[in-house]
Amino acid sequence: MLLQILNGLVYGGLLYILAVGLVLIFGLRRVVNFAHGSLFMVGAYVGYAIATYFGNFWVGLLVSVALLAALGVFLDAVVFRPLQREDPIVTVLVTFGILLVLEDAVRTIWGKDFLSLKPPEALAGTVQILGESFPTYRLFVIVLAAAVAIGLSLWLRMSRIGLFVRASSVDRTTTAILGVNTDRVSIIVVAAGAALAGLSGTVSAPLLALSPSMGSFILIDSFIVVVVGGLGSFSGAFFAALIIGQLHNFGVVYVPSAATMIPFLLMVGILIWRPAGFAGQHV
Amino acid sequence: MSQPSERIALPAAPRLALVSRQVWLALGIAIVAGSMLPLVVTSTLAITLLTQAVIGGILATAVGLVIRQTGLVSFGHAAFFGLAGYFIALPAKHGLWPLELSIVLAIAMPTLLAFLLGLVIVRIPGVAFSMITLAIGQAFHEFAVRARLVTGGDDGLAINLPRTVFGVATEVFQRPQTMFVICWVALVGLLFGLHLLVRSRFGRVTTAIRENEERARFLGYQTVVPRALIFALSALIGSIAGTLFALYNGFVSPESLHWSLSGSALIMAIVGGTRLLWGPALGAVVFFFFKDVAGDLTEHWPAMIGFMLIVVTVALPTGIGGALTKLFDRIRPAGVRRDG
Amino acid sequence: MAETFAIEGVGLTRRFGGFTALDAVRIAVPDGEIRGLIGPNGAGKSTLIDVLSGRADDWEGTVRLGGEDISARTVQERRRGGLARSFQRTNIFPELAVREQLEIASWRAETPNVDEVLQEMGLAGIAHMRAADVSYGDRRRLDLALALIGRPTVLLLDEPAAGLSMRESVALAELLRDLASRWKVTVLLVEHDMEVVFSICDRITVLHLGRVLAEGAPDEIRKIPEVVTAYLGSTVE
Repeated sequence: MLLQILNGLVYGGLLYILAVGLVLIFGLRRVVNFAHGSLFMVGAYVGYAIATYFGNFWVGLLVSVALLAALGVFLDAVVFRPLQREDPIVTVLVTFGILLVLEDAVRTIWGKDFLSLKPPEALAGTVQILGESFPTYRLFVIVLAAAVAIGLSLWLRMSRIGLFVRASSVDRTTTAILGVNTDRVSIIVVAAGAALAGLSGTVSAPLLALSPSMGSFILIDSFIVVVVGGLGSFSGAFFAALIIGQLHNFGVVYVPSAATMIPFLLMVGILIWRPAGFAGQHV
Repeated sequence: MSQPSERIALPAAPRLALVSRQVWLALGIAIVAGSMLPLVVTSTLAITLLTQAVIGGILATAVGLVIRQTGLVSFGHAAFFGLAGYFIALPAKHGLWPLELSIVLAIAMPTLLAFLLGLVIVRIPGVAFSMITLAIGQAFHEFAVRARLVTGGDDGLAINLPRTVFGVATEVFQRPQTMFVICWVALVGLLFGLHLLVRSRFGRVTTAIRENEERARFLGYQTVVPRALIFALSALIGSIAGTLFALYNGFVSPESLHWSLSGSALIMAIVGGTRLLWGPALGAVVFFFFKDVAGDLTEHWPAMIGFMLIVVTVALPTGIGGALTKLFDRIRPAGVRRDG
Repeated sequence: MAETFAIEGVGLTRRFGGFTALDAVRIAVPDGEIRGLIGPNGAGKSTLIDVLSGRADDWEGTVRLGGEDISARTVQERRRGGLARSFQRTNIFPELAVREQLEIASWRAETPNVDEVLQEMGLAGIAHMRAADVSYGDRRRLDLALALIGRPTVLLLDEPAAGLSMRESVALAELLRDLASRWKVTVLLVEHDMEVVFSICDRITVLHLGRVLAEGAPDEIRKIPEVVTAYLGSTVE
């Protein structure tokens, strides 16, 4: 039972790191990056390739995060900024196009077969938790997710940019008056969101089998997390990720083939109760 | 069409007859010309492509209808298309009941599902709706891939078709020359039905809801059920496309549920434009023509779809249909507008 | 206290977080009266209209329409019961023709009066035009026209003259008074233009910080010092 909860936390943690990137970008630009799951997948593959080449997981992680951050800067420059005055659906359609291109590119480079990456040596063992043995690497993922959550909330509270992002996700007009340079903030925020997707992807590589469609199921769950949490809400996404993580794990253990359907049913339930998600304001 | 003099006397209401003479004429010509096409186009390859285009056109019409009448963009219509296929393939595999019943269920069940879902999801604002439809579509895809024992996983399922379907030889559904005519008549019939629908009170009220949901409520209109009905109707059309596709190919696979199919349908709808009812279908023809030209590149078809989606969205926001409408508007005297 | 009012709100309270937008407000407008609702920005005028019309959620109190408790009724049911409203920010159907949207409105009304409303509101000449293409003043009148379809018994008007020129405002005021008396409509009018309020209202309610500060005939209101300092300032002397 304890192990199950911990495993749920692992998946919930990965999901949180990914989903919070979506929330960051949404808060600032009012658009949803449909290619976010693909960034996760690209992060996993890049991490895999570099880690395998150098024989060192941490190098792979570092390169992947850096590369994805760069990709984020690029995305902001060619997609989010030029399209900021258009209807949000235009950006959504374009990022959906990017998703299809990235998925195909990865399929072409690495093939359709499942690949796997070993966890780093130092974390390869198991630890004893209340008499049960639990893989050290999984514990590392939980700690990492917690660290990201804490770091991010400090950043959002303390820094100027963080303040701006929080203000902008609540009220657009006030922030426009504040006179902050949205474009500069946007580069940093989109890069951070993409880097988090890369982090989540690489970290998940030793846990999940790598396949070009891995971006698909995680995108579903992260979308559900974001919608259930209330579009644009950081705390909502945090709690939703924890819940979906547990549910997902429960599903994988007891009804593996229908695992993707369970979070989905939860989402429908929550939306019946609160159409704007649990942190969302009523419109 | 009303008389010109009447229009001057009553500038307020260009009272259109429910079905104008032009529309009857267009309907007649479309059905006759479409039925003759296989006699003219003798290349089996071309007629195969056209059949696919028409089935794609029906799916695109479904996606376009939701955009046109609710302003919401669905990224998951492949779900209804693919589900219809599985509703035909699975009972046939186990010999549960006659194919005719499967066809009815293949159309009815996705429609019902869409209605119930619609009651929940049409209430949520634009982008979230798109996210959820994408998630729903992909959840079904994942399910079909993983539930190997039931669905055959990635390999898909061959459909054991009986000798006749509704008394018609099954061959008729699988030969491109004859199937083209069936699909074409279905498409034209659906477009005609939608033409009536958007002019009906229900159609006009849903347009008003799309334009301003809050004001519609303050005029006394329920706004959730009508939008859920549009979503269900759209799923009905999408599952008709899926049914035709399954009968034509005698095969279903998770690809028919994949988001790249939902994306293709969106491209067709955007290329053709959604202001005109027949825009998405027109977009489908352009799309499949492009697919044919792309030829060898089809190995990277999903990437091509993605690329096209980007180009089309940025370059042609109102689609070919939108460009044509603008042209018509310029020709026609100012102030008289046609919607649809 | 057995008197029935056309529209009546008792103990209306609405909070946003720690801020109390409405604090146990009582408002009662008798049949056929034109009631003005004034007060500085943030006094709770629009919130009151939202609560009465059903737009707000999470509020306390009782709303009665013609003596009947409609607190639990939806927006749609209130409208069908004869309670209509207009909006501060023009709230119309931009892509639909003027006449088209009035017709759609009339399908939910027991007495469809599209032509009458078009005539009265001076929209007949532009009936065929798309709402997005008509002038600002016409769009404001269209907003009002949508509320007038079906001859409602109670009209809640949230700054109908906002953004109109002086001449347009005066014309609108006269039109409102005229319609209210001919169609026997009870009006609750939120308006910043004091000229309009003092010229057409039978009585005026002054809201301040979510409470009713004063209520009375225009002449009485003019004389209350607190009202003058709180809101009127030197504009109406």
